[in-house]
Amino acid sequence: MLLKWQIQRLLHQTQHSLASPSRNPRATVVIGRLLGIAFLICFATGTYSHFIQEPLPGMVFLTRPIWLYQVSQGIHITAGIICFPLLFAKLYTVFPGLFQSPPVRSFPHFLERASIALFVASSLVQITIGLLNTYQWYALFPFAFRQTHYALSFVIIGSLAIHIAVKLPIISRYWLKRDAVTADGEIAGHEVVDDPAAPDELQRLTGKRQYAGVTGRIFQWIDSSPAPRPQTSRRGFFATVAVASAALVTLTAGQSFRVFDATNLFGARKNDVGPQGLPVNRTAKRAKVLETATSADWRLTVSNGESTKVFSYDDLRAMTQYEVVLPIACVEGWSQYATWQGPRLKDLIAAVGAEPSSTVRLTSLEQDSSYAQTTMQPEFVRDDLTLIALDLEGEPLDIDHGYPARAIAPARPGVLQTKWLSTLEVMS
Amino acid sequence: MSNTTAPEPILAGRMTVTRRWQTGLILVGIALLVVGAITLLNDVAPKDYIGIAIWFLGALVIHDGIASFVIFGVIVVMRRASRKIPLAVIAIIQGALAIGAIFFVIVVPAILKKDIGSANTSILPLDYGLNLVSFYAGLAVVTAAAIAAYLVLARRQNARPSSSQN
Repeated sequence: MLLKWQIQRLLHQTQHSLASPSRNPRATVVIGRLLGIAFLICFATGTYSHFIQEPLPGMVFLTRPIWLYQVSQGIHITAGIICFPLLFAKLYTVFPGLFQSPPVRSFPHFLERASIALFVASSLVQITIGLLNTYQWYALFPFAFRQTHYALSFVIIGSLAIHIAVKLPIISRYWLKRDAVTADGEIAGHEVVDDPAAPDELQRLTGKRQYAGVTGRIFQWIDSSPAPRPQTSRRGFFATVAVASAALVTLTAGQSFRVFDATNLFGARKNDVGPQGLPVNRTAKRAKVLETATSADWRLTVSNGESTKVFSYDDLRAMTQYEVVLPIACVEGWSQYATWQGPRLKDLIAAVGAEPSSTVRLTSLEQDSSYAQTTMQPEFVRDDLTLIALDLEGEPLDIDHGYPARAIAPARPGVLQTKWLSTLEVMS
Repeated sequence: MSNTTAPEPILAGRMTVTRRWQTGLILVGIALLVVGAITLLNDVAPKDYIGIAIWFLGALVIHDGIASFVIFGVIVVMRRASRKIPLAVIAIIQGALAIGAIFFVIVVPAILKKDIGSANTSILPLDYGLNLVSFYAGLAVVTAAAIAAYLVLARRQNARPSSSQN
């Protein structure tokens, strides 16, 4: 029984020692709002990326603006990175709550704390695996990244909705600054745990004073320190979060947005770095196409039901060539514009009697990849900017960029811009 | 009389609105959790569940068991230091430490992964270790400048005669 009161005293004293003006309900609401927005942006852009890769029947996607996927996924990754300071800040504002005593007051309180634990754990795991995925550090994942990341996104937004519901009275109370902060700069209705002596059940039972023993003396030592001034503490806190977030965007977003390229110190990719000045995800060696893609026997087979036509590399070159400037935009967030040349996809399928508004299955020579075969929806197939690219920046494609031929279409994830093409099948 | 009775229906009305929002949010939350659970069951192989559980447990242990105590220690040290150092200076140092820690969390994995090796040279192409050291040097300079600016301003403010003397 005494142990219970000893733990309670320890938790209370810890909570008291952590009391700070920057940890208050208004700060929690302000940071929580920003974190909620960042989570929702990640959820919306992530869901878009998921469905453009695995569309449900009847789904149609925009092909304009051409930078739609580039910006969407760039925002997804950048917002995910900003979630680090925002999540840490949010946890910091409620830090003393970790040491609340008693730890569990009732069954509903247990459910609330358990749901918060699930929310915190899933949020931390989600942003961490997202970041590590951009570093391609797959060896750390004892699970499939894409499927887990997708499933967790629903868990997080679901937990967020429940968390908002539970905290709604506090959120609405501290939503507006004019309601939350008094004229003298104090947080209205917020009482800091300012009594280190309570609870005193242990003292009542044993006569042992709060500041007795090793821990008691440590807490007395802490308590004898001056308390921080409210406004200095709060301004310092918000300034730290703002500077950290701004610095992260400035120093990492160059992988997604050219405007930040000069300050890209920490992005997982850098513009203009890679074969032909363009980053690469999967190399020809890794895809095991070094021989097949460079073979003199390489042909592109285009079929539409019974109708089949085989194109050699020279045949493709003999067709009308078009030049387009399109970004290659990876699901990992990096992207870069490039100039591509080659025949239009719709011209190729027209050679086997297919309408431009057809669905086409593209098959690559690559091995051991779930993206060796992809499907292109009619809105992309009929687009004038969709090419079977043979050239990049005026030169034949580097083998790592898909030589001899690859797909390139507007507003489409890089992983679906199939490289090392071998067949095109008209499906409908 | 009217002053004491009038707010009650308004308050009751607000409570009803809040309660409706809470109910709606909880229903949406539960629906999304169900979708998440179904997706997990359908799309993720059962052999992966243990790995996911280990990551969840690891996140809680690192947050609740390690990071929180390290931060507690830093807070205590900073609070003690504030006996001799101005609080604004402590706040600036704390902010710089927090920013440094956030960049550590994000950049160190890149340094480690680059050291292990990447699938091709366009993945993690930068010198992240050097860049992080440069960033920390810049952060230290900016922090020192901010502290110096504060101290100069504070000294000027203290030296200035108060309005009551004018």
